[in-house]
Parts: sequence; C-alpha cells; structure tokens
Amino acid sequence: MRIVVLCSSVHSETACAMAVRVAELGYVPAGALALPTLDRGTLRRKLGQWGLRDVARYARAKLIPRHGDGQARVINHYLQPLLKHADGVFRSLREAAALYGFPVAVCKDQNAPDSIAHLKEWSPDLIIFTGGNILRKQLLDVPRLGVLNVHLGLLPEIRGMSSPEWSLLNHVPVGITVHYMDAGIDTGPVLQRCEFPEAARCESLSDLRNRLVAFGVEKVGEVVAGLDHGTISATQQSDLDKDNQFFVMHEWLQARAAERLTKSRLATLAGTVNG
Amino acid sequence: MTGSGAASRDNGGDNGMKGQIARALTEATGLLRGPQRVVPLIRKLVSDKLRIAFEQRHLYSYTTTRRASGDALNLLLRWILDAQRPDGGIAAYYSLLTGYSESYPEVTGYIVPTLFDIARAAGDDGAAVAAKRATRWLLSLQMPTGAFPGGLHGGEAQPSVFNTGQILQGLVRAHRETNRPEILQAAVAAGNWLVNRQQADGSWAGPGAYQDVAHTYYSMVAWALAELSERTADHHDHGVGYGRAAERNLDWVLSHVRPSGWIDGINLRGHPNYLHFIAYALQGVLECAILRRRSDAIQVVAKSAWVLLRKFETNKWLLGAYEPDFKGGRRFTCLTGNAQMSCVWLRLFEVTDDLRYLNAALKMNEMLKQLIPARGRRGIAGGVSGSYPVWGRYQPLRYISWGCKFFADALLLEQRLTRSFAASAPEALPCAS
Repeated sequence: MRIVVLCSSVHSETACAMAVRVAELGYVPAGALALPTLDRGTLRRKLGQWGLRDVARYARAKLIPRHGDGQARVINHYLQPLLKHADGVFRSLREAAALYGFPVAVCKDQNAPDSIAHLKEWSPDLIIFTGGNILRKQLLDVPRLGVLNVHLGLLPEIRGMSSPEWSLLNHVPVGITVHYMDAGIDTGPVLQRCEFPEAARCESLSDLRNRLVAFGVEKVGEVVAGLDHGTISATQQSDLDKDNQFFVMHEWLQARAAERLTKSRLATLAGTVNG
Repeated sequence: MTGSGAASRDNGGDNGMKGQIARALTEATGLLRGPQRVVPLIRKLVSDKLRIAFEQRHLYSYTTTRRASGDALNLLLRWILDAQRPDGGIAAYYSLLTGYSESYPEVTGYIVPTLFDIARAAGDDGAAVAAKRATRWLLSLQMPTGAFPGGLHGGEAQPSVFNTGQILQGLVRAHRETNRPEILQAAVAAGNWLVNRQQADGSWAGPGAYQDVAHTYYSMVAWALAELSERTADHHDHGVGYGRAAERNLDWVLSHVRPSGWIDGINLRGHPNYLHFIAYALQGVLECAILRRRSDAIQVVAKSAWVLLRKFETNKWLLGAYEPDFKGGRRFTCLTGNAQMSCVWLRLFEVTDDLRYLNAALKMNEMLKQLIPARGRRGIAGGVSGSYPVWGRYQPLRYISWGCKFFADALLLEQRLTRSFAASAPEALPCAS
C-alpha cells in the first residue's frame, strides 16, 4: 500500500504522528507534501485570524528550533508516544522522514499542477490528509483508493467546523469519523465511525480536541491496515440531502459547550468516587 | 418607507423629480451650511477606506466578543434619544453632509416597541418617556381616514399603507404598555383603513402603495395587523378580521417564493433588491406566521434565512443587495439588513432550537458592534450607517435611525435568548453508549 501524507506544515505534529503511525504498521509513506510553514499569505491570514501577539508566538515557535529533550515542547501530549524516538521527540516531519526514509516536498498550493505532478510521481494508493488547502477534484482523483480524512465528529450528524463543540451542544455522541474526501464538505464515504468513550473525562475543550486527534491517528492506522487486508470497506453517507453542516462556533456557545463537558466530568468523577 | 429615500420618493411624477433635484442640491450644499461637519466626514471616509483596505475577513471573524452587547445597546439608545426632535418624532437620519433630518413618522412608529423593550430590559425610564412622547406625536399625525402619512414630517401628507402598518406596530405596543383608550382607538382606525385598502388577492397596490404597485415586503404590514388582532382579541371582537387580512397577505407573499428561497415581488423600480427589503419580507412573514401559528410559513422563512446564513458563514459578510435567487449582487454591506437578518435568525433559533441560527446571529452582532463608532459628535457616536463603507449605495453618508432600531432589537433578542439558554441546565454527555 503506497501512502502519501498531506499536511499544512512540516512542523505539524498531527502529520508527523500520522506518518509515524502508518510507518510503524509497516506502511512507510511514499512521500509527504507540505505547505510552507511561514509564507506571506499564511502570515497575513493568521494575522487577521489571531492578532499580532499570537502570530508573533506562532512565528517564534516555527522559526526557533526546539531544544533540550524536546518532550516539554510537544503541544498535544497525547501524540507524544508516537512522536517519541530513541533520541528524543520528532520536531518536524523531516526528522521522521529521515528516520523512516521517505521524501518530504513543500509546495505553495496542494492543488497546483506541479503539486499534482509530484503526487502522481509517488503513485499513491491512498493519501492521508492532515491539513492544508481545500482539495480540488484533480487532486482527489490522484490516489487509487482515495484521500482519507479524520473528521472530529460523527458523520453524517455533524459536518463542518467546531465539530466536538457542536456535538456537545447538540446531544450527539462525541467521536471521530475516518472517511474518504469528496467535493462536498465531509460528505464522502465513511470507512470508520467511532464514538470516543473518554469524552467525559476531558478537562477542557482543548483537552478533548487533543485526545480526539490522537484517537483519530490511532484509528487511521486501523483503517489503513483494514483497507490493505480488505476487511474494511467504505459506506456512502445517509442524509446527504440534509444540511448537517456546522460552522465555526462563537465563543459564547463554546463556553456553554465547555460547561457541559465540565458537568459530565464532575458526574464521572462523582460516579468513580461513589463506585 | 425606510431605506428608500424617505419622504419624497412617495410622491411620483414631476413632483418626485423636482424633489430629488432639490434634495441633491441640499445635500451638495450641506457642508457649506455646516462646515463643522467637514472633519467628521473626512475622518469617517478615511477610516472606512483604511478598514476595507486592511481588514481580512476570515474563518474566525466575529467569533470573539470585543465589545459587550450591553455597552453597544447603551450607545444605540443614546443615538436614538439624541435623534428625537422637539416635536417628539425621531429623525430619519443624521447625514454627514446635512446633519439631522426632520422627524420621520414611519420609523418613529416602529421604534416605539424597541424603546419600551430597552426600558424593560435596562430599567431605563428615559427610553419609556421617549416612547410615550413619540406616541403622542404620532397620534397628532393620524388622518381622518385612519391612515398615516408617508415621508418625512413637513412634506405633502399622502396616506401610505406601509407607513401606516409600521406605525400600527408602535401603537399596538404603546397601548399594551399604557392601556390608554385613545391609542387603541387610533390603532383600530389604522387597522380598519389597512383592511379596507387591501386587494382581493391579499396584497396592497394602487394609491397608498409605494410606486402604486404591490410589494412582498409589505408582509411587515401583515405582521402589524396580526399584532392588532392579538391585541383587540383581549378586548372585544371588532368583526373586521385583522388576523384574516394578515393571513391573506401572508398567503399572497408565500405565492411569490421560489424554490431557491428567493421571494419575488420586492418591486422597487429603479433600485436594486437591498438586503433591507429582503429581510423585511422575511421578518414580516416570520413574525406574522408565529402570531398566526402558521408552521408552513415559518418553514419557508427558515429556508430563505438558511441560504443567507450559509452565505454569511462562508463569506463572512452579506452583500448589500442581491440579484434574484441570491445570485450575486452589490459589493457593499447594508448594515440595517444585517441587523434584521440577525433578528430573523434569533427568532428562528427560538422557534426551531437550531443553535446554528443563534451562532450566526452572535457573529453578526459582533460584526455590527465593531462598526458602531463609540466616540464622535451627536448623530455619529452609537450610530448605524446606512452602508459599510459609508459611501455604499444604500443611504450613503448617513447614520440611520432604523438601523439603530433593528440592531437594538437584535441585541435585545440576543440578551433574552442567551440568558434563557444559559439558564437551562446542561445535561450529561450522551457519549460512550
């Protein structure tokens, strides 16, 4: 099974963990295609999105190499078991690529003709998407099987953005869905849909998100192996005519979602104590 | 008619043309008569120019609160109170060229409920006093037929269906607050006139209708009649059938809805389909449908409002005017229309429990809050400009009273609904099944 990883930056922890996860299962990626870490467009977008102070932090984190044993520098510590290696922690996809022996290319636009040509050279069976541009049909058609995405919500109930938060507020179980991407937003055929049993133990929304990302990386490994052995097949989503798309959540609603999480955590703790 | 050049456009033919020329001259020479307005004008033009040059709208625009809704509401109230003229009427606008306009009966009418709502929510007696003064002034304008005049105060008084409907909103609310019989009497006379003027198909056309033709955004009039029906049912049955008249208009408007959610029949000759009028049509149908318990009409509004919600969430703004089927339009923002859409989404959240409407409204309100000037001279601070940027096609270079009214309505609704949502206890997670 020839696998290619698409990511938003060579510093993406999720991409790095994903590449390591599949490599450890014996599917060393044929290559990885990343967007530049700091280009003018990204900086301008993030400046509008986060403000000057957070962009300065982001730039510093990207530009200044991490020192020491690296362990304290892992942002999502649930990925640490995958990012850890004999000499410390992978600081970028390039370091993982050097260890496992796969090439990493950087492009300005993943849909650009030269990027597509690059991908075709790797002739992938499967592309794993961990971030980057909105993918166009030309790219989606490159891999033999399809482009895989981990959506942080259960499909088809919750499509789009802020999925864990919307799940909390809409009484939909928290979970992830591994699916093929198509031209729609989270409308592609589903490979695996998993509820996340640890949600009620999460301390905060960011903790929940971090755990879900790690859970998703874990599940992608199972899906890749399942596809290779022919034990998993994709199922078309139901409710495609229903508009289940959700959008970025306003902070006031996020606070309500966080309250719900806290209440569930307290209930779980109380149950543990009483039990 | 709010948003369509106020008074003079209700007068057709040569008079209308002469009026337009006179208005253009007045606007053009406004700065000569009020040179103190030059600096605020330049400041506003430069700030909007800089803002549109550098502001990047993105996925996370408007997801965080930068100004408290209560503070914004106070600014809006101050603007409205400042715009109340000595006669008790509310000015239509503050122009960066000519200053305050004359009192505007239509907006004075439908700003009354907003003032009473603010008084109740914020415990502000000043708002209630202003609402009562405005009501007294409105009563003095009523024609013997029961109709109210169109246009700005002081112009040629012609009965206007739309303005009568909008003023009826205020009278019904003022009666609810004060229980004064002369207010109910005026409301009933206005309602009777509207019912008598209604066409067999449920529309209002001919004399009294803008440009003499029927408009689907007159659903706002149907809403006022539905309100009157509710109010008079508390007292006695007049036998006029305000509720039936409201539903006749509702059915007529629904017959103009396309599968795309677009409502035909805005019918403003010589003008684009401003978001303000699209939102009027939706708001009128929705509120009338809620009062008359017409779920079919609520579903129709939900469909149209969803189309606009997706556009707002995807593009981070709504166009100032749309082509039929919401295909493209004018690239400026009609702030009043945005505030009205926020009201529509909030009410849809209330009736459907779909949190995506609340989410969009919260973001829309954030956007609007960021565009209200906190400082500046009277007429500017706390004002809602017709367009953003201020030179956009809809009410250019003006801060308009109905913009403040609709945004205040949106913030009041936001406060009420977020409080009740927050008060409902969160349940345990349904995960780990």
